[in-house]
Amino acid sequence: MAASARYERRPLGHFVALLAVLLALLAAFAAAEWDWGALTDAERRAQAAARIGAWLAAFARPDLSPAFVHHAWDLTLQTLSAAILGTALAVLLAWPLAMGASRAVCVGEARGAEGTGPLARLWRRLPLRSPAALLCAACRLVQDILRAVPDFVWAIILVALVGLGPLTGALALALNITGILAKVYSELWDSVDESRYAQVRSLGGGRLATFLYGIRPLASRNVLSFTLMRAECAIRNAAVIGAVGGGGLGSEIWYQVRFGAWDKVGTLILFTLLLTLAADLVSNTIRRQLRGDQSRQSGGASCAVAGAGDASRQGRPEGDAVAPPIAAGVSRPPFGPWLATGLVVLALLWSLWFMGWGNRGGEDGAARNHLAPAMELLSGEAWGKLRFFERLLQPELDLAAIGLGDPAKAAARLEQGKAVELSATHGALDFWRPSAWLAWQQELQKWFVWRVVESAAIPLAIAVVGTVLGVAGAILLTYPHSASFQLHAARFSGETPAPWQRALRALQLAAARATAVIARGVPEVMWAFLCIAFFGPGLVAGTLAIALHTLGVLTRVFGEAVDNQPLRRFEPTCGGSRLATYGLVAVPRVWRDWMTYGFFQFESNVRAAVVLGLVGVGGLGFQFSFNFEWFRFERAGTYLLMIVLLTVLIDRGSRLLKLSRVGR
Amino acid sequence: MHHHRPASRRGFLLSAAALAVAASLGVNAGEALAQQPPARLIITAIPDDGDADRMRENFGALARHLGQAVGIPVEYMHVENYAASVTALATGRAHVAWLGAVTTAQARMQMGEQLTILGCRDIDKGFVSYFIANPATGLGTVSDLGELAKAAQGKGWSFTFGSKSSTSGHMMPRKYFMDQAGTTPEKVFRSVAYSGSHDVVMQMVADGTHPLGALNYASWDKADDALKARAPIVYKTPPYTNYALAARADLGPDLLARLRAALLAVDGSTPEGAQVLKYLKAGKFIEADIGEWQGYVDLLESGIDIGG
Repeated sequence: MAASARYERRPLGHFVALLAVLLALLAAFAAAEWDWGALTDAERRAQAAARIGAWLAAFARPDLSPAFVHHAWDLTLQTLSAAILGTALAVLLAWPLAMGASRAVCVGEARGAEGTGPLARLWRRLPLRSPAALLCAACRLVQDILRAVPDFVWAIILVALVGLGPLTGALALALNITGILAKVYSELWDSVDESRYAQVRSLGGGRLATFLYGIRPLASRNVLSFTLMRAECAIRNAAVIGAVGGGGLGSEIWYQVRFGAWDKVGTLILFTLLLTLAADLVSNTIRRQLRGDQSRQSGGASCAVAGAGDASRQGRPEGDAVAPPIAAGVSRPPFGPWLATGLVVLALLWSLWFMGWGNRGGEDGAARNHLAPAMELLSGEAWGKLRFFERLLQPELDLAAIGLGDPAKAAARLEQGKAVELSATHGALDFWRPSAWLAWQQELQKWFVWRVVESAAIPLAIAVVGTVLGVAGAILLTYPHSASFQLHAARFSGETPAPWQRALRALQLAAARATAVIARGVPEVMWAFLCIAFFGPGLVAGTLAIALHTLGVLTRVFGEAVDNQPLRRFEPTCGGSRLATYGLVAVPRVWRDWMTYGFFQFESNVRAAVVLGLVGVGGLGFQFSFNFEWFRFERAGTYLLMIVLLTVLIDRGSRLLKLSRVGR
Repeated sequence: MHHHRPASRRGFLLSAAALAVAASLGVNAGEALAQQPPARLIITAIPDDGDADRMRENFGALARHLGQAVGIPVEYMHVENYAASVTALATGRAHVAWLGAVTTAQARMQMGEQLTILGCRDIDKGFVSYFIANPATGLGTVSDLGELAKAAQGKGWSFTFGSKSSTSGHMMPRKYFMDQAGTTPEKVFRSVAYSGSHDVVMQMVADGTHPLGALNYASWDKADDALKARAPIVYKTPPYTNYALAARADLGPDLLARLRAALLAVDGSTPEGAQVLKYLKAGKFIEADIGEWQGYVDLLESGIDIGG
């Protein structure tokens, strides 16, 4: 009995997961038409190489003329202010939404209250069982929609609401980030172990008290670090503000890339990287100040490991394990939190001032108050203008094609031979013949909704292949990226490296970190612009873009997970090579965390792949934006429904698998 | 005593919010009742020129000219998206918009009688698109697009239009292609891309990213000779009607009449007028009627296959 229980605990799940990944890869290659010509065809490869060469040469000599640098600086400030404002608004909106969407906060049922049988478990999933559960389901749907709708669409909808200007872009950004933050907040709150706050409940605390005094403090560290991480991403991705009259770095890079002005692209990417690095540094400072590192430094090994564990589980991207320990006395008054709060308030005030009065980048260099249009939101007239988009809510379902709805129309479709007739050539009993499936698929393609569903294959395929490539690359790059293995290896391997060896390793470390910073600091969309320019538009360009960005993001969090391991864990392999220690001790220890990040990244890659469709990769995103821009809102509505459905499915899947558990 | 405080604070906040809402509603209601012209006119344009600064500069000049003529400040707001400019006009967030034929038809379909035309350029009633090819394709000029489709068969060439919603960079080239070749570009070329604007199409064909493309003649004509040599014309389409300066009808007949007069009066005598005409490659602006774009409305409503 005991033996079999132990046997059952064997981690078979990971083999199943790997098998699933393999199957997904196969499906991805089968589902979409991959044209590797850009990489295999010698002539086109030479062309691409020439373009990359031209770009690298130009990147080495960026356009640093004072006029252009000044222009880029203006764009940087516009991007920064919109991103800060957008994130701040998003935090305010995400809190109540996440409180609604978190089962632990909103429904607040104690686990096992209705029994533990399969029926009870099913009952817990039923949204109709109580008003609170219904509210919870509704809030989750709202956050999925906020996340799924591409931000340029929010921007266009907001044009009707508040008019043209940079504020519209910032608000669009805010809506999109709200969806992301609310999802993560609610997952973090849900994943706090119930036994840790059971006391608040047993003392008579209601749902609100349980949240305020139990759940919120227990998850606050992760909530904070994720908020800061999103703020960094927002700063990088603030390209959307350009779509409706705000300028910003993103739209300018897109324009210059298409125009082949590589020296200017170099300057702009340099500014993007500087912005990313600055945001990194500031958010790390804030994080360190707010987190009270003293307790972590002095709190013994087990505490440090637990802290490192749940820190890294959130993809918290910083390398504080490498930072020198703060030799702080316990008696020092906690000045840090004030400093950090001050920094945040200062950044917020600056961005408000810039949006309202300081932005002179527009026409004639005259300052204009871009905040004023926000008052429009208070008028009923502005909301009435939303009716312009009403048709988005009436998706085209093309029922006539499958013989439903108006019989006359269905008959007419049948007459034209444009209706789905599954049994035309093959009956249901032919299911074992491949030709039958092909025929059925061709029949189904006459139905618009089926074509919509099929178009989702392209973003999914891009996300699967891109994520797998990125994960593989990140595993390879983490070794030179890890300070434990490049700088501190002597402390566990027992070797005494010669000075030149040490120098070589430091160089390796620096090179790996620079690669990761560049791969991460340039957003997916910009990588896509570059890859399209190099390899031509298509799946390959989109996949490479996703893989590159994934590589950068994952190397950082993978590396942290390794560097957060205490060095003495590696001591048992004393005498083995560093590489063997990495492969046989470090990787297995952090594998679980790595896979969790990998899945997180896959989820965000699917959404990124939908957005990449907008810039010429094809598939769902392209079809959606095409129909939206032609004001065929009914059709766009169907595609939008598919995007939302995809997001909901992946989200519910990850919640079901409990991949994001904090207190595991 | 203590428990009274939060309630009174909440009450204060509530009343403040109510006041703000009432004030803003009141202002709007007043405006709507009086049918007064807005204090500031906003003009926007489809971003058919990829260079935002160039557009700001030149449409800013047009805005200044119109503003001086009608006595109301006019401001140009730049957008990076064709659909955003139509949305802005249709929802009253912009009052005047420089639109292409397709976007005019789209706005007409959204707005109905609310849309009116201020005028168009002398060149807009005989507009032409060019099909261009990279010299590496070895293509000479073709007599019709069926010949082009035949030449492209099996070559694995990709093709680029401009913006999806562009008339001269997508709609009309596509229509002529389908009329003459009897098939869609998607079936002939390896991939069909939308590069966003005319000058970008020319750049991408010139550097070989896409071997073939289509764009409007004015954008090709104003490029420099080196670029023209790397993206020569292989076919010129028949002429068609294109751009218009459209406005919202609710500006009132008086203001619309003054705007029309101001537009027709644009000439080379003022620095603004000269700048606008030079940028738009026009001799002058002429009168036009919304009926001249009805053909496009019919075309769109016929459910023509536009590739989506």
